[in-house]
This record gives sequence, C-alpha cells and structure tokens, in this order.
Amino acid sequence: MNARHIVWTVTAALVLVGLACVGLRLYARQQARLSSGDSLWRITYKVKFYAARTGATLRVSAPRETTHARVFRHDIQYAGLLAQRLRSSRELSRELAFASLGSGPHTMTARFDLHLSPKDRWRPTDPTTPLTPDLQNRYLRNTDDIPTDAPLVLETLARLQAPPPTNIAQRLFDFCVHDLGAGDERAPHDVLTALQQHAASPIGRARVFVALCRAAGLPARLVTGLALEPSAASQPQYWAEAYVDKQWVPFDPSNGLSGDLPERFVPVTRDRLEIVRGTDISELETRVEILRLPPGPGASRFGRSRLGAIFDLTRLPLDMHEPLSLLLLLPLGALVTALFRVVIGLRTYGTFTPTLLALSFVYADWITGLMTFTAVLALGLTSRALLEQLKLLVVPRLSVLLTLVVLGIMFMVSALDYFNLTPSAQAVILPMVILTMTIERFYLTSEEDNPLFALKLLAETLLVGACCYGVLRWRAVGELMFTFPELHLFTIAALVLLGRYPGYRWTELWRFRDLKKP
Amino acid sequence: MKLPFLLPRDLRALGVLGMNRRNAEFILPGNPRHHYPRVDDKLLTKQLCESHGIPVPQTYAILEYHSDLRQFRRLVAAHSEFVIKPCKGAQGRGIVVVASHDETTFTTSGGETWTWPDLHYHLETILAGLYSLGGQPDRALVEQRIVPHPIFLPLTKGGTPDIRVILYRHAPVMAMARLPTRASRGRANLHQGAVGAGIELESGQFFGGVCRDRAVTVHPDTGAPVAGLVVPQWKELLAVAVRLAKVLELNYLGVDFVLDAERGPVVLEANARPGLAIQIANRAGLLPRLRELDRGTGVSPAVST
Repeated sequence: MNARHIVWTVTAALVLVGLACVGLRLYARQQARLSSGDSLWRITYKVKFYAARTGATLRVSAPRETTHARVFRHDIQYAGLLAQRLRSSRELSRELAFASLGSGPHTMTARFDLHLSPKDRWRPTDPTTPLTPDLQNRYLRNTDDIPTDAPLVLETLARLQAPPPTNIAQRLFDFCVHDLGAGDERAPHDVLTALQQHAASPIGRARVFVALCRAAGLPARLVTGLALEPSAASQPQYWAEAYVDKQWVPFDPSNGLSGDLPERFVPVTRDRLEIVRGTDISELETRVEILRLPPGPGASRFGRSRLGAIFDLTRLPLDMHEPLSLLLLLPLGALVTALFRVVIGLRTYGTFTPTLLALSFVYADWITGLMTFTAVLALGLTSRALLEQLKLLVVPRLSVLLTLVVLGIMFMVSALDYFNLTPSAQAVILPMVILTMTIERFYLTSEEDNPLFALKLLAETLLVGACCYGVLRWRAVGELMFTFPELHLFTIAALVLLGRYPGYRWTELWRFRDLKKP
Repeated sequence: MKLPFLLPRDLRALGVLGMNRRNAEFILPGNPRHHYPRVDDKLLTKQLCESHGIPVPQTYAILEYHSDLRQFRRLVAAHSEFVIKPCKGAQGRGIVVVASHDETTFTTSGGETWTWPDLHYHLETILAGLYSLGGQPDRALVEQRIVPHPIFLPLTKGGTPDIRVILYRHAPVMAMARLPTRASRGRANLHQGAVGAGIELESGQFFGGVCRDRAVTVHPDTGAPVAGLVVPQWKELLAVAVRLAKVLELNYLGVDFVLDAERGPVVLEANARPGLAIQIANRAGLLPRLRELDRGTGVSPAVST
C-alpha cells in the first residue's frame, strides 16, 4: 500500500468515524428521556433601551444554576451591540456584558433553556461557601437599603432577641412573615418605612429580614430570582439568604418558605435587585417570558454520576461555553490558513499568526483591534530599528522587544479608553509573543530582502487573518462545534487531504506566466 | 484574449513542477529527514565533500564559541581575503565577503568598510543563531574566497555568480547560473533579485534568463546578453554533482558550484529544497524529466559521461 492509498484510507476512516460519532450523539439525544418529574423551561429576556452614547454598557444576569436547575443552552441576539466576555463575579451573578456601537434605541434578546429536576441532580456550585472574612464583611455591611444601625432596626432586633432564641434566623423570619403585613408592589420597599407601617412589599420584606440578620451578626443577602411558571411577563421574585451553620439557607418571607425553596425558584442575581442594568442608558424596559418546553433533544441527559457526560460539553457551566466554543473554532482557523497557503499560495509570517491575531480581535471590534495592532507594530518596528544600533544578541533583543510590545499594548489600551474612542478597549489583548516575532521577522525581511516584500508578506498575513476572523466570529458554527466536537474529525480529514494536495497553487499560475511559449 | 496568467492545464502541458508536488512527491519521499543535516549544516557538507575528494573552498577557521572570536584576527591575518558564513544559514543570509583588511578595518566585496567591532558583532550574531534555520546556536565558517572565472565578468555586478544543478535520483535534470545584480546586493539568490540563466545540460551553454520571476534576455545592470556563454569544464562539473548526490543520499537535490579561475568547479553548498524558478530560467518544466527518471528510462546525457 503506497502513501497515497494510506492517505485516502485514513481520510475515509476519519469521515466514517466522524459520521458515526455524530449519528451516535444524535441518536443519544433523541433517546434522552427526561426522568419522571423533570421538565424543560425557556426563559426569554426581551430588553429595550436607549443608549446615550457609543460604548454605553448593558449588563444582563443569566439564571444561576442550582442543584435542581441547569442551563443547557443559551442564545443571545444583539444587533448593534458588542458582546464582551461572559463574566462571573464570584458570588453575585453571571453577567453578559454588552457595549453599544452607537447611541440610540437598541434591543437585546437572551434565551436560556433550563433543565429542572426535583432531585439533587447536579453538583451545587456556590463559590461563597465557606465564607471568607472579606465576604463575611460584605454580607454584614450597612448600606442605604439595608440600614443595620438604624435605631428602629436595633430596637426591633432587641425585642425579638428577648428571650434569646435558639434559632435567631427562624425567629427573624417568623417576624417578617407574621408581623409585617403583606403588601403589593405599592407597599413600602425600604426597611424603615416597612417597620414603621408594619407592612412591606416583597422587596421590603426581604430587605427587613436581611437588615435584621445583619444587625444580629448573621451574614445575609438579598436574592432576585425567577419562579418557573408559564408567563408572558414574569415578575422577579425576591427572597433572602442567611448564612446559617456554614451554608446559605434561603428564606422567602413573601411566600412563607424557608430552608428548601421549591426547585422552580431559580436565583438570578444576589446582593443586587436588577436582573438587567446598564450605564449611560435610559428607557430600559425588560420583559421576562417563561415557557415550558416539550421534552426534546438537547437537555442535559447526564447527571454527575455518568462517565459518558465527559463527552457532552453542553453540560459544562454556562460561562465556559463561550471560550470553549471559540477554542473549538481554532482548528477551522488553521484549516483556513492551510487552504490559503497550500491552494492559493499566500505566504504568512508564522503558521498560526493569522489565526491567533484573529482570535485576539474576536472580543474587540476589528477597528479597535486594527488600530492597536498598527500602533504596536509601528512602535515595535521603530524600536527594533533603534535596537539594531545597540547590537544586542538575539535572545535579549527579542526580550526587549517583547517588553516594549507589552508596554505598547497596555498604553494603547489605556489611550483608547481615555479618549473613549472605542467601546471595548479593555478587550484588545493581542498575542504578544506572536506580535513580537512578527515584528522581528518583518524587520529582518525588510532589511535582508526589501521593505516592499516585507509589506507584501504582512498584507498576506493580514488577509489570511481577516478570513480566520470571519470564521471565528461565526457563532453558529462555534455552537455547532461545541455540541458536536467530533465534527473536527472532518477538519482533520480535510487537513490530511490538503497535506497531500499536489496541484498548482494559484500564485504559481501567475509566477510561471512567462513560461508560455509565445 | 490573452490572460495575464496561465491556467492549470497550461502549466500541466508545460510540465511545470509546483511547490506542492515538489514537496509531496519528490522531497518528502526522496529526502529522508535524517539526511537533512548533511546539507543544512555547511560544515558537514564540506567535511563529506573533503572526505570524498570533492573540491570545496579551503577552510581557514571554524568559530564555535564566543572565546574563539578573540583568535579571529590572528587566524585570518595570513589571508588577504576570505568569506564568513553561518554554518546553518539559508538563502545567503549572514554571509560576508571580505576583500581586504588590516588590523582594524575590513573592506567587503561590496565596498563597505567594517570596523573590527562591527565584524565582531556580526560574528556574535552568527554564533547566537540569528541566521540559522531553527534559531539554534550556530558556528561561523571562515573560508577561502573563490575568484570567479573571468568568463562571467560581463554578467556580474558585485558578488560571485554560481551554478546550480538540480539532481533527481542522482542524475542532473536541470541547471542554471545565478548572476548577482545590484538589486540582489551581490548575492546569487533569485529570491533577492539575482538573474538566473538557463544552461543546456548537454553543452553547458547559457540560454534565456529570469529575474524576479520574469523572463529576461540581458543582465539588468550590465546590459550584456545572457544567452550564448558556455560554462568551461561543464562535464566535470556535472560529474562532481552526481558524485556529491550519491554521497549525500538525497534523491531530490540542488548543488551550488562556483567556477574558480584556477581550481575549476568548487562546491559551495547543497540544498535539499531547491527552488522552482530554475524552470523559468530554462523555459521548461521539470516534471517530464523527473517522470522519465521515475520510469527508469531517462538517461541524462551527463550521466553517460
């Protein structure tokens, strides 16, 4: 069997195995039966707002996962907005941040599909237990909304602590349930008015509970969440959590529930009221739709106990989805580069430079990326020319260059931010080592060959990078790869075929043009 | 309508060898990786040549460690001219030709004057691996400067012209002369703007030429016609190339010669990935000749000698 046969066999095998894996996964998804009592829900946020300026930010908190509920899919539509990283501030919320690309009215729709189970199916993931001294201070602090040192609060507490109860949290909770009259949305939201009028809104009751707990030295926090019930305009639920016996215990004075909340109560954000907030925006309107989904493919089939779950990436926590699907796009970037080099015949500085440059531009808008890139490249080349005078050895010289590149990027980011030129200066972290090597190669090429050739190579690198950028920005493909990572067997098959492609490169059609007999 | 480029079928008809095919069908199967150091390290090539009686420029010194640099001026004192090369350099990078020197200044063949600190720095960068293929630490080779045969003078602007022979399965398949130009800054490298002149394998006669991938008929600097010149000692040169190919055990090989005024053909270096522009210089594709050798029927005229 010669090399060519082996290549075709390997390619065919890769394609077959890939197809089999996709088929197996599809079959498994079709077969995935929900355990009895489990249900699937869709929460949709429909957000409208008016951005006062370019770069106004919108922050949207995603539903948090609990031992009963897991987000298995999300989809976010945002035209005219620039998505930034999904950030989890450890204990508070998991926020999606967006910057507006212009002023004016905007809309954003976020959809989260949840798998709800009456059993404790998933590993609890509360990063705030155990409580560190920092967090302890945070959840004991005195604020305008939670006045722990107001005389009325202290007085109420003193009354409730005589005689000293065995379970202070329960005593305070009973007070909020029985002695604070339940009011509707018009009832007082703030702690002091509520205590004076003996009536409070759901927010007010939760706040009184938190204030009393904190005044009693018990760390406590407010929780905003959603109750999973079909609704076209679901209202947020407010409850509280107190840190009792080294764990967070929920107390819901409005519904009179404590200890375990029903599994349909899904927390969204903690220690803060709003699910959606922003800066430099106005006329913010948020509607939350909740829908029960029919049982179907895509739900998390596996609990934590099944080893097969390793192959199901969608079961990973939500904030890992985005970076991981981006990583899964990298091989496609490499495939694009290989196509350009082998079939078209463009040359690039370094094999993976275009892909990695494109990756670093994904989180920024490309104008910001290109501005930073150009500025840093110019700085790098100037300093490289100056460094030549010092006649340094290779490794120290490259290291000086790397240092300058790092400094250049930092100050460029700072400058962009200062002049407020772009909405997302903080996201431009170019691949510094790659950039350093590009500068060095550009300099050497322009010195040893000629500057025109060096520029041509740079242009070709950027062209290939632009195509990689197009691929990396393709979110739908990223999500597909995330669901079916075995599709990369096809990528490998394509690369194997490319690796044996003996045909002419397009550039050679031009290069050998003078060979034609006249 | 005349297209400004060729179609793949034109190139196929001409038998042009493309980069992909060269790599996939000739270099990868024909040149085992572990034999690459024999050509990528000029010193190793040279040692192999010397042990098989193949003429190479005389070695004056090998500088390996930083401390060797202190000896440098004493080592070259006896030679009025010499060449410095990185052992693992590519495409002529890092090569300095010193035409004359005294204790403190060195004049290059291009007419530049280098001070000892300049040259010292250059040697340091060679040792540090600036010019080596993988950026690995390298050695500097100091060797005899070849005086090119005067026959090439009308076709040379600074630097030394060389002759490249491509061999496949140890048989010469194509040859060209590489003539430095002002644009190539004395280097005999097509990539940097040197002129390539096709050479008839049977006779050693120049015909046609290529400069920056375009067909040319005259040298761009001297204006002398490229065609017509006959390389002296041509059969001997081809025989040496064949001998070297057998020693190196590489199936697809480029061997670079300089024609010394007194010694005749001298091997400068060998290349396991020789470029493809030689086809433009020869106005012919390599593929038919390679295929013939694959079939085992092709007997190159030079091999029979």
